[in-house]
Amino acid sequence: MGKTSRTLVTMPASAKKGDIIEIRIIVQHDMESGFRHTETGQRVPRDIIRDFLCTYNDVEVFRVELHPGMGANPMIIFTTVATESGTLEFKWTGDDGYASSTTSQLLVT
Amino acid sequence: MSDQNAEMTFIAKVFVCCGICALVVVGALAKADPVGNERQSSYELMSADTKAMQDDPLLNPANFAVLDGRALWQEATGTNKIACAACHGEAKVSMKGVAASFPKLSTSRTGGRSLLNLGGRINQCRTEHQGAAPLALESKPLLSLSAFVSTQSKGMPITVERHASNASHLEAGERLFNLRLGQLNLSCAQCHAERPGQKLAGNLIPQAHPTAYPIYRLEWQSVGSLERRLRNCLTGVRAEPFAFGSKELLELELFLAWRARGMPLESPGVRP
Amino acid sequence: MNRRAFVFSAAVASGLPSFNALGEVADATQAVEKIVGNKNVSRGRVTLVIPPLVENGNLVTMKVSVESPMTKDDYVQAIHIVAEGNPLPNVVSFYLSSRSGRAVITTRIRLGDSQRVRAIAHMSDGSFWQGDASTLVTIAACAEV
Repeated sequence: MGKTSRTLVTMPASAKKGDIIEIRIIVQHDMESGFRHTETGQRVPRDIIRDFLCTYNDVEVFRVELHPGMGANPMIIFTTVATESGTLEFKWTGDDGYASSTTSQLLVT
Repeated sequence: MSDQNAEMTFIAKVFVCCGICALVVVGALAKADPVGNERQSSYELMSADTKAMQDDPLLNPANFAVLDGRALWQEATGTNKIACAACHGEAKVSMKGVAASFPKLSTSRTGGRSLLNLGGRINQCRTEHQGAAPLALESKPLLSLSAFVSTQSKGMPITVERHASNASHLEAGERLFNLRLGQLNLSCAQCHAERPGQKLAGNLIPQAHPTAYPIYRLEWQSVGSLERRLRNCLTGVRAEPFAFGSKELLELELFLAWRARGMPLESPGVRP
Repeated sequence: MNRRAFVFSAAVASGLPSFNALGEVADATQAVEKIVGNKNVSRGRVTLVIPPLVENGNLVTMKVSVESPMTKDDYVQAIHIVAEGNPLPNVVSFYLSSRSGRAVITTRIRLGDSQRVRAIAHMSDGSFWQGDASTLVTIAACAEV
């Protein structure tokens, strides 16, 4: 039983072989840092996304380890080289069984 | 919930108080409330980064609330098992200009008229047409639906006007705006009408026009309503905040919307 | 009096940018040591951009770029962001590859206070390089408590 939420990616649909493409991704998550307290003084437990993985035709091309210092609704802009047509997959995993993912097709000419 | 960073200790509170007192006592010349073209959205006071965050839907943290709202719009609910979409169809058509007209008086099925903000009107629809329980004020689903409906009026001018029917509410709201409140004994007007653009403990004072609600306030790290923000103001002057949905907050919202009439809506906004 | 209030009042009183309690800088130094082991960290090649004045520390846009040809034989394998003034100094670690094209990443982080933030790049040849940026974080007016 895992939690999930939306993740949205923006990247070009096509590119020339060898082009560097920019990928923007954001995910809906409060990233509860574990440092906040309720009005009655109880600590709100940590509940964050811990990892992000980008694969390109199943090969890892970019990975991120997130800590509580990452802002809510994590947003990352990064790049990758367009090598061949195929599928880029973006996966987030975190505390309390959190998992979300999305994919995007890239046509490389 | 209080963030450890917002655990403003006595020392910090003293400095904020000193800042406010300095403004009022030493104070620059108090001006009249900006009107017409002198009015300015608090968007203009933000840093370039924060403006960019509001402008780009991919970067705007409130965008998720809009998407959640869109999903709720289409979800059949209540004993009548009916979705908003069933009556209202495409929100971008039916809700165009709607958020910009709130708060306003609404007639209930039983014939009574009451002043409602957008959240209140959504709840009235739920109870009267969907047979659903009203959503809790300031709850995620209500804020999401408000965000979704509000953004359909993005770019459109606020259309709240004075009528015979809302005059008494409007006057009550205006009195509240000018009333000194709290341990700091300050009125909304003293900061927002008379001293906008000056600084309060390092922050620029905005004119306080509700042009972007609901907002993702960076301080909250979540989306919230104008009422939540007004309650923060009341805490700021060390007054007991009025309850969500209270007459006082609704009338103040009405006055603020009327004061901002003609200014375009930016919803959903990002604010520090 | 907690550190945050002390820093706030010191900053306001002195008009100078606030400084971090020595304890937290020490934590950050330890965090960096864990990353680099006993290797040296050279200054340069890494540019970290954070607005010099931040309206709210809860969501601060930062951009890190590392000079590198990003080829199979010479690329940035990781970039670590360490915040000297945060309760936990490790903020985020990016693991790139020779397929990344550029070592330029933008993200949004939390800064608990005015401070120096460091970016440490780990190259494919095993070397470490660092850059940093200092910023002033202001407190929002009229908050919940």
